Amino acid sequence: MQLVGFPVVAGIVLLAFVSNTNQTARNKLNNPIRMASFAFSIGLFAYTTWMFFEVFANITSDGLAFNDYKLHDSYEWFPALGIHWTVGLDALSFPMVWLTTFLLPVTIIATWHEKNGATYFPTILLMGGALIGVFVSLDLFMFYVFWELTLIPMFFLILNWGGKDRRYASQKFFIYTFTASVVMLLGLVTLYLMQPDQIGTGGKYGTMTGRTFDIPTLVEHATAANQDGWFMGESMQKVLFVMLMLGFLVKLPAVPFHTWLPDAHVQAPTGGSMLLAGVMLKMGAYGMFRLPLSMFPHALQHFQLALMIFGMVSLVWGAIVCLGQTNLKKMVAYSSVSHMGVILIGIATMQPMGWAAALFMMFAHGIISPMLFAVCGAFKHHYHSMEIGAMRGMAKHSPWLATSMMFAWMASLGLPLLAGFVAELMMLIALWYFIDLEGWSVLWMIGPALVLALTAAYYLWSMQRTIFEGGDETQPPATLHGDLIPDITNEEKIAMLILAAFTILFGVMPWIGLDMMDDYCRTFFEHMISNGIFKGGA
Amino acid sequence: MQTTQAFSSEFYSALLPELLLFAGLLALILIPNLGKGTFRIPGTQIRLPWLLGGQRFSLTSNPHLPAWIATITLTGAFVAVADSLNGGVETLSVVSSDADTAKELLMVNGFSRVFELIFFGALALASFASMNRLKVEGVGGKLTEDQLYNNRRQADFYILMLTCGLGMSVVALSQDLFVLFIGLELASFSTYVLVAFLKESKAGAEAGMKYFIVGSVASGVGLYGLSMLYLWAGSLQFEVLATAFATSGTEPLPLIGIGFVLVGFGFKVSAAPFHFAAPDAYAGASSPVAGVLATASKAMGMVGLIRMLLIVAAPEASEGSAVWLVCLGALAALTMTWGNLAALGSTNPKRMLAYSSVAHAGYMLAGLTAVGAWTWDPSFAGSEGEAALLVMTALLFHLLVLVAFKLGAFLVLSILESDGDASRLSSLGGLARREPLLAFAMFIFMISLAGVPPMAGFLSKLMVIMGIVNVGVGNSASSLSDFHWVWWLAFLMVINSAISVFYYLRVAVVMFFEEPEEGREGPLPSGWQVRTSILICVLATVLIGIFGDSLLEMCRTAAESLTTDW
Repeated sequence: MQLVGFPVVAGIVLLAFVSNTNQTARNKLNNPIRMASFAFSIGLFAYTTWMFFEVFANITSDGLAFNDYKLHDSYEWFPALGIHWTVGLDALSFPMVWLTTFLLPVTIIATWHEKNGATYFPTILLMGGALIGVFVSLDLFMFYVFWELTLIPMFFLILNWGGKDRRYASQKFFIYTFTASVVMLLGLVTLYLMQPDQIGTGGKYGTMTGRTFDIPTLVEHATAANQDGWFMGESMQKVLFVMLMLGFLVKLPAVPFHTWLPDAHVQAPTGGSMLLAGVMLKMGAYGMFRLPLSMFPHALQHFQLALMIFGMVSLVWGAIVCLGQTNLKKMVAYSSVSHMGVILIGIATMQPMGWAAALFMMFAHGIISPMLFAVCGAFKHHYHSMEIGAMRGMAKHSPWLATSMMFAWMASLGLPLLAGFVAELMMLIALWYFIDLEGWSVLWMIGPALVLALTAAYYLWSMQRTIFEGGDETQPPATLHGDLIPDITNEEKIAMLILAAFTILFGVMPWIGLDMMDDYCRTFFEHMISNGIFKGGA
Repeated sequence: MQTTQAFSSEFYSALLPELLLFAGLLALILIPNLGKGTFRIPGTQIRLPWLLGGQRFSLTSNPHLPAWIATITLTGAFVAVADSLNGGVETLSVVSSDADTAKELLMVNGFSRVFELIFFGALALASFASMNRLKVEGVGGKLTEDQLYNNRRQADFYILMLTCGLGMSVVALSQDLFVLFIGLELASFSTYVLVAFLKESKAGAEAGMKYFIVGSVASGVGLYGLSMLYLWAGSLQFEVLATAFATSGTEPLPLIGIGFVLVGFGFKVSAAPFHFAAPDAYAGASSPVAGVLATASKAMGMVGLIRMLLIVAAPEASEGSAVWLVCLGALAALTMTWGNLAALGSTNPKRMLAYSSVAHAGYMLAGLTAVGAWTWDPSFAGSEGEAALLVMTALLFHLLVLVAFKLGAFLVLSILESDGDASRLSSLGGLARREPLLAFAMFIFMISLAGVPPMAGFLSKLMVIMGIVNVGVGNSASSLSDFHWVWWLAFLMVINSAISVFYYLRVAVVMFFEEPEEGREGPLPSGWQVRTSILICVLATVLIGIFGDSLLEMCRTAAESLTTDW
């Protein structure tokens, strides 16, 4: 698929172009390479946006149903093993792909002056290509390949452009997520080999024939098999569900598997953080929707409560830890953990609305969290410190940064008319559906209620200590060594404006993306209920 | 299946690669000795030039000449093997006579051809890369005796490389344990000397000694096992042994004999607990040689293991599992875990690679265990044998691609060794700044060893895991308790892969992040031969990972041929 191929090839070509030059020549190349990468990412963005208007915007209802793919295509890869690179887009993947192509140019703008740009920008492109690959691949094998491939550029982004402890952070990041994904790989292989015979055409040979890596075929078959019993047997479905979910929960990340995230975020460069929080975390949630939730609904019902607990713990724990942070970026990282809890809760409600909330949260958080990290990056860039309280009275001397920060913080805590609010509201409604209003289950509401207050508390508290309180232009913070305090650069302003504009756009007109997600979830649940797999629902 | 006698015309065409090696060997002995030597007819003053000895010609005294001869010979053999594999291999069995009592000696089929491909490929790359490694004391001109002696060593080194290849291919071809043993010893003795060849360093001599002692003890034990088998069956033919085993295989004598033979092969694949000499040998040997030990020599051990376990001691089709199953499974688990844990703690990159090679041996043993766990049916009738076939394909493929990235990693270390030292992790420091392309190559090798897609190492590891899971899951399992226990070997393998990422990644981090060592900031010594070899390895690692389909097909056919006509 050209969407993946182009950024990867472009990234490699640009990297190869600079690899054989020495440092001075490379510095001269910074600008042309930056321009080339930027033009390229803009082109990709234009392409996916065109795709939206051409294919996805005017699909009538049921056009984007569960397990129905647009732009479906298949290429031979390893025919001997039955591996085809099947690609396709549906309501799960298209928003993510669009988000990735949207964030690429924005990231490039926001980190316009990153050092060693000649290698930095191609790495960002490679990252984007790998991410798009995860989202468009509809083949278990290729899905896993791209899943792992995203680790490599991110590893280098953290390692080469990161903060002081980047070495530790990049290794922890790689090992943590790799361990989880090899367990997931074992699950995938077991799933592949245990599938009943003769589902697909598969490879050429004995064991391989009749097996398939093709996700749509598998999902179709699983749905049919789930009607009269458990697809692949009860205990097997549970085991596979757990194995796959483990990989995705670490990536998401859910407490207690989240410890790699703060380290990775704090040490990662701004661009790395923006892509990491914006898209890479969503790979976990996307993987859940794509595989275990689609194929193992019985197991989902079985583990519903466990998922709900995971979600609640992430939500509350993330928020509580945020309160204790003095490092701005770490606080934002933990707030991501908290928001990922929202996604898990949305899934665990097993309501169409809850699922739509989770999907929209993935999307909204994908726009808001890059803005949070862009603000953090600008903060670091201009004040050489991330400590909350090291810099006060920003509103007076850096009005642009102060405004952006305020906007991003408000968007993240769920201010109405901004994108995050829609998702959170939907999650709350779905949670009320989940609670039957009798007995103790009302207690589930304590978590979100508590977190609403906690989130407001830590965001407002950090704003108060940085934007408003104190503030004497004549006394810049000690970390600046008496330099004049500059406001953010023009490039950063542009990036912030774009992100803010889209946050408002999707807050005011959420249906642009929500419609197709809603279609997906509705058809999924209708399907499950009419086939007797789920008992009732909203 | 065709049969032919030795020295018939089919024999020559089928054994062309080996004959090429033999010719190369003769050339290596002869050509560096060509000179202006003359022969005086006794009783006369007439001197006839006979070209042997005397002052060497400028071409034949060139110290690089042996390297070129060896490389070209090995490459030629490689091409010959690849060419015969290309058109599908006709199985040819070489027998001792045309009588009914003829003994089968060698067999050329897809299976042995793939192994020849591995051996010659690894050796050709290593010889080519060694051209920059062995010290050359000037070309032409007046040289002291020591310098001449040093130049002379070049020929010795490459002669050993060729005998090593010859021995290995005999192991792959043989159908008789005795012939196999001769090949094994020929290859082993060559490697003992090759390991000790770095006589300038203390480590080299020590490593050679250790490797020799442990290796010869292992061979001795193997030979003792061989004698027991002979006592029991009256023959060392695989065919005879297999038939005998099927009827009375569970008697103590053959079991002990087979166990002893396996010790010999276990040493070659460096399986725990027979691996103790490996880290020392790898660290002491020059890096290309260590690369050969980790790839070709290991493949040779694997041939032995496969033949012994799956052909001689094959379980009955109806039995379902082999006698050696639990033993080998435990060995596999021990080997991979031990290798990985030891690699975690080693700070010498060569020892680290040695332990990683132990871990890889563990993965392959796990694959073999899975084959044994399946109802092993030599004819592979029905889909039941398919799982076993998949594992075999995976094993062959793994051994084949291992040449690319394992040897490649050793070759990168080889360049660092010529720069001074590669025995500390810090000697890799700042490689990204000193030689970005080399660091990138090393990174590719490391992630391929760790099994990160889309490198070749991922595909091979995935296939081994897939084969094991396939066996473990079987056809009828519906819950975790129905699984055969070999499934847990796959689980252990996955966990081990995750552990291994740490030390592979540490190499990358040191290369990209740490400062170069004091006085080692500049670029590394040049040498286009070793760099070309590395380039070939990188290309193979990446391209096989992406377009390896035809190679997989080839391994598949080879694995089939093992079972249809062993």
